[in-house]
Amino acid sequence: MSVEVESPPLERLKGVLAELDDLRHAEAILDWDSRVSMPRQGAAARADATATITRFIHERFVSDEVGQLLEELAPLERERGHDSFEGALVRLTRREWERARRVPPELTGEISHAAGIAVAAWDEAKAASDFPSFVPHLERMLELKQRYVACFPPTESPYDVLLEDYEEGMTTAQVTQVFDRLKRELVPLVERRGGEAGDDAFLRGPFPAEAQREAGRRVLTAFGFTDESWRLDETPHPFAQKPGHNDIRLTTHTDEGDLMALFSTMHEFGHGVYEFGVDPTFARTPLGTGASAALHESQSRTWENLVGRSAGFWRWFYPQLRAIFPGVLGDVEEERFVRAVNAVRPGPVRGDADEVTYGLHIILRFELELQLLGGTLAVRDLPEAWNAAMKNYLGVDVPDDRHGVLQDTHWAIGLLGYFPTYQLGNVISIQIWERVRADLGDVEEQFAHGEFAPVREWLREHVYRYGSMYPPQELLRRITGAGLDPEPYIAYLRAKFG
Amino acid sequence: MTNTNLDRLKTLLAEVDDLRKASTILFWDQRVMMPPGGAQARAEALATVGRLTHEKFISQEIGDLLGELDEGDYDYESLEASLIRVTRRDYEKAVRVPPELTGEMRHSAAIALSAWGPAKQNSDFKALLPHLERNLELRRRYVECFPKQAETYDVLLDDYEPLMKTAEVRAIFDTLKEELRPLIREVADAGEVDSSFLHGDFDVQKQREFAFRVVRQFGFTDDEWRLDETPHPFMSSPGEGDIRLTTNYRPTELNSIFASMHEFGHGIYERGVAPELHRTPLGTGVSLGVHESQSRSWENLIGRSRAFWRHFYPSLQETFSEQLGEVDEEAFYRAVNKVHPSLIRIEADEVTYNMHIILRFELEQELIEGRLAPKDLPQAWGERMHEYLGIDVPDDARGVLQDMHWAGGSLGYFPTYSLGNVISVQIWERLKEDVGDVDDQMERGEFGEIREWLRSHLYVLGRKFTPQETIERVTGSRIDSRPYVRYLREKLAPQHA
Repeated sequence: MSVEVESPPLERLKGVLAELDDLRHAEAILDWDSRVSMPRQGAAARADATATITRFIHERFVSDEVGQLLEELAPLERERGHDSFEGALVRLTRREWERARRVPPELTGEISHAAGIAVAAWDEAKAASDFPSFVPHLERMLELKQRYVACFPPTESPYDVLLEDYEEGMTTAQVTQVFDRLKRELVPLVERRGGEAGDDAFLRGPFPAEAQREAGRRVLTAFGFTDESWRLDETPHPFAQKPGHNDIRLTTHTDEGDLMALFSTMHEFGHGVYEFGVDPTFARTPLGTGASAALHESQSRTWENLVGRSAGFWRWFYPQLRAIFPGVLGDVEEERFVRAVNAVRPGPVRGDADEVTYGLHIILRFELELQLLGGTLAVRDLPEAWNAAMKNYLGVDVPDDRHGVLQDTHWAIGLLGYFPTYQLGNVISIQIWERVRADLGDVEEQFAHGEFAPVREWLREHVYRYGSMYPPQELLRRITGAGLDPEPYIAYLRAKFG
Repeated sequence: MTNTNLDRLKTLLAEVDDLRKASTILFWDQRVMMPPGGAQARAEALATVGRLTHEKFISQEIGDLLGELDEGDYDYESLEASLIRVTRRDYEKAVRVPPELTGEMRHSAAIALSAWGPAKQNSDFKALLPHLERNLELRRRYVECFPKQAETYDVLLDDYEPLMKTAEVRAIFDTLKEELRPLIREVADAGEVDSSFLHGDFDVQKQREFAFRVVRQFGFTDDEWRLDETPHPFMSSPGEGDIRLTTNYRPTELNSIFASMHEFGHGIYERGVAPELHRTPLGTGVSLGVHESQSRSWENLIGRSRAFWRHFYPSLQETFSEQLGEVDEEAFYRAVNKVHPSLIRIEADEVTYNMHIILRFELEQELIEGRLAPKDLPQAWGERMHEYLGIDVPDDARGVLQDMHWAGGSLGYFPTYSLGNVISVQIWERLKEDVGDVDDQMERGEFGEIREWLRSHLYVLGRKFTPQETIERVTGSRIDSRPYVRYLREKLAPQHA
């Protein structure tokens, strides 16, 4: 007869969380595979399998057992404090558990079901540039999101609840303040710089796909990509994923008519290297991933823009790129090339936007989301409001809804409150970058020699390794000594774009 | 009421099936896509999903539902009766094994497998020995979970070939031994067939194109299939409409083509299972033996036939003109069908292959019954190789260490390979009666009618009936080695004519 030894509650909680992480690992692979390697006809069976796994994860997590463990662990959390692994683990788990418990499973099911239908409708609506056919789906999603918001205690703005899903502790008021400040700066900047004649016909190639892939591989290898722990594949929409520790997967989309793949590869590398750098002892816990959507985006933008569009980077890489594409780039001087990949060119599509105009695309969406959720804008009036704002902020005439209100998939899949994190990422990226430069000095000189390890290691040491130990704003304060602040970003834009 | 119970059972089983699919894709990804650094996390994820699948299946609720449902309420042939019958059998087996034992077996297998690689590399049997002993001990404990059978080995066999008895297999194998040993000698006496041209320089990209051409002609489409490359070829079906094969391209030989056809056979079987069986325990091939019958059909009965090569050889010859330009079709046909005793099972020809299996089948029984100690395996192996195939084993790497099965804890698996050979010809004989001009069709590169016959007679059945019932339904008789022996004799006749 053996005596059952009750494991301490912390060990039991870690056991449950590790299992949940294993199931998330499975969910991630089911998703990655469906986007990279699954034969088309496998979609229906895959949807069933994914739905089952997702439901099991949810059921297991919101169980009374987890609640009981959290209760038992409250003293330990107080005692160790949130600076400790244990304290942080309990804090984060409690936050997520309490949020998850508030939403009835039926509503979660309705939202994912509605999203499945809406995304198919969006696909067709976008292809036909037919907004009215998408209206009922968006109305339905909006109604579900309002019901979702109602599951939580009242906040200053209902939008706060949605933001909280992606950016813990961020409020609508904070975002509004930052975005208003940016708007005052960006709109005139675009007016000043947007009209310049382009000298970039050479950026339209042709750039053979295999050669582009070679260029991408060289850059990634210099950044720190290894075959031991990384993959790079092709998908229509680039993304990054970490199914498990030491398994980082990036995708890119290569178009022979431009060099966007190179920049999107560096962007996804930024997401990947953040995940790669999380403290290995956090693996199989909720702490083992990036701190928030905005922090994550700050790193993708860092590697895409602050590294990948810098003069130093191109001093190193342009000779190689030119040698890879002698036909198209043979006559293009380095300076001209660098100017072209940093040109300010207002256009209707967010995905094609440059560093300056990008922010306005986001601000526009944030403002419309606020109005939609607040009931001051009807879904059917969206195109008009969209087009007016595009004209106001960017001076752009939207040719049709396909290149306007229908361009993004986010609203169809229920991602409301997500857009602002893109621009917050830009803001944060510069706040962190200032610290990098204060510590490392002239990093562009390092880039010019193809050296990226010092920057990568600095970021790992000061940002990546913490995973989700701290709420995003606290992490930002620990890294930079300050809270969210748009001024460094504005100074950066002024210096770079005048 | 019963209907509600049945619906509920179906729902629960569908969820279990979804979890199995997740494991399948995790496993496929591990072998085809995963960066090596991800191995540790993947092992953990697989273990958790595997355990959850098991827990969900042996749940009290499924047990209660099976208690209330009665297959006798439905026509034996109906989906409902099959579902209850097969689930009950699976369930009763699954609940007998304590989860701790399953966990120990899995753990021990994982460790033994990682020891097997280096042990094989260094031909160091002693390094693997403690792991084999441990696996064997766990297998004995596993056997004890089940009611006593006529032979201990019956329990092991049942996992791979449900309801098959050791005595039946022995009878079949004894016949094969008796018939094949003289046949192997006769072939040897008739003189060496020249197959030297099969070893040379075969461009891998061209092999890939050729392998794709063949499987496409068989019925592979990009909509539903994949063909990737791994060191050990395998087939995986992670969901309806999603069949994945792998093959192995070696720059010095053409094995990739045969491996692709072999895996296609496994894949087309899974693809042909009736749609209404999907997301139930019935939605897959009925046993390893029957599965292997299909991989061997497409690899050997089709892929090593004269008619097949009459169609494909001209283009193969053109593709590899440097190697095969001077080799005529008949010489090529003979070379890919050459019978020649050799050391390695997976490289063995159609005839000697069975001797490799029989040897393993016999040793496995002796091991599980304690008549042979694991430490004495190399010697026993060597003696039997000499006796059955007349060859001396130079080292353990090319002897007892060549296969990963025992390290992986699979005892009772090997016989299904040869049973597959036997069953394949039984089915093929029936097919030829119905279809008639099979050879003419293959010569024209037409495989649609063959595929369709196999689908509508065999593949659709999935696990609806027992393996033996399935074989009887398709062929009209029980498992029988005579057609297979006849086939080999006929095929080899011209070789020593």
